[in-house]
Amino acid sequence: MKRIGELWNKLANPSIVPKLFSVSLGLILLVGFLIPMDLNIDQIYPRPAPQQQIIEGLAVAPYDRGGEVLKVPGITRAQYPENSKSLGMVNSYMSPQALFVQSISPYFGTSIWASPGGLIDEILYYTRGFDTILESSILMMSFTIASWLAVNFTIKRREEKSSNHNEEHK
Amino acid sequence: MDIASLGGDLLGTIPLGDIVLYLTPFHLFMFVVVLIFTGLIAISRSETQVEASFKTLKDNKVSVGLEEFKIRRFLAIVCGLATAGAMITGDLFNFTLFVTLIGIINVGIVSAVKQIDVLDAAYNYGIIAMIASLPLFGGASIILASTGTLSLFEIAKIATTAPMMTFGAILLLIGIAGETGTAPFFASKAEMFRTPGSPFILIIHLSSLMVIIRAIEILLIIVKVI
Repeated sequence: MKRIGELWNKLANPSIVPKLFSVSLGLILLVGFLIPMDLNIDQIYPRPAPQQQIIEGLAVAPYDRGGEVLKVPGITRAQYPENSKSLGMVNSYMSPQALFVQSISPYFGTSIWASPGGLIDEILYYTRGFDTILESSILMMSFTIASWLAVNFTIKRREEKSSNHNEEHK
Repeated sequence: MDIASLGGDLLGTIPLGDIVLYLTPFHLFMFVVVLIFTGLIAISRSETQVEASFKTLKDNKVSVGLEEFKIRRFLAIVCGLATAGAMITGDLFNFTLFVTLIGIINVGIVSAVKQIDVLDAAYNYGIIAMIASLPLFGGASIILASTGTLSLFEIAKIATTAPMMTFGAILLLIGIAGETGTAPFFASKAEMFRTPGSPFILIIHLSSLMVIIRAIEILLIIVKVI
């Protein structure tokens, strides 16, 4: 009984908690190896099989989206197509520079910076646009916190230290 | 369980592309409660703690400076809005993003205090929040792999629970437990409250409570135990 009490007391120490959390997480991840793998083939955001587009000889493989800009929709899918009516319409847009690079190089599609609009982007900015907003707000909040701390806390603390040499806020 | 038996009749949806927010009486109640609390926080002033001094009759007042007050109020409002969003979202990945946002802001609200103990606790909580993003997003992606969808409406329609879905749900639960700092990982979060600035500190509590309630509902949608 006494040992359980000691254990609970140790749990109350904040520095123990991350270790405890990571150990328990590690144990559960190990259990995960015993779970039979299970992949639903019918995914909402499908990707073509590896090398498939390259074997087909498409110019922007493996990022070819099919379709024609503003005329024929490309291969993007959505969970609720009724909410995104013009889905796939700007899928295959490429800027004039991108068209030029594509005409001289067969490896254009393999570089992500050259990704022409594309499947990923239409999901990012159209069907799942709200997620993208949230992701950038997470980033913005962490920058807000970090920069506020740098300006108002770290710099001021250095001033305090140099002026009266107290070690209170070390 | 299906959505209607968990939260009541569907009152309506807010479609944002693939991410469909939905409102039932249960979600609407939690959404409005969080918004009211956020409004109260936005107009309130922070408390001043009075500490008794040792070997003297003077009291030591610990208050929050104006700059610190402003950033805390801003972060508390954003935290309230994120909690309100997490209450009504109908998309699993969207929910995990809201929870991550809440976790980061919780660290930010106490990051500017001067008490070293509180900073230590916030640091440890920040480490947990960072570690917890692995099971949080990992769980969501495992559920996406085994169901093929992230929409809670579609997941609710699936009749059986594969073992992989249960494992994903457990990972999700661990991630949320880490981000919100529930038992047995509460110590770091409990220490964070020992600082002045009460109404803004309280949103840390409220967001954790609300997110846990919502997470239980989502886990019951994913894992069909009953």
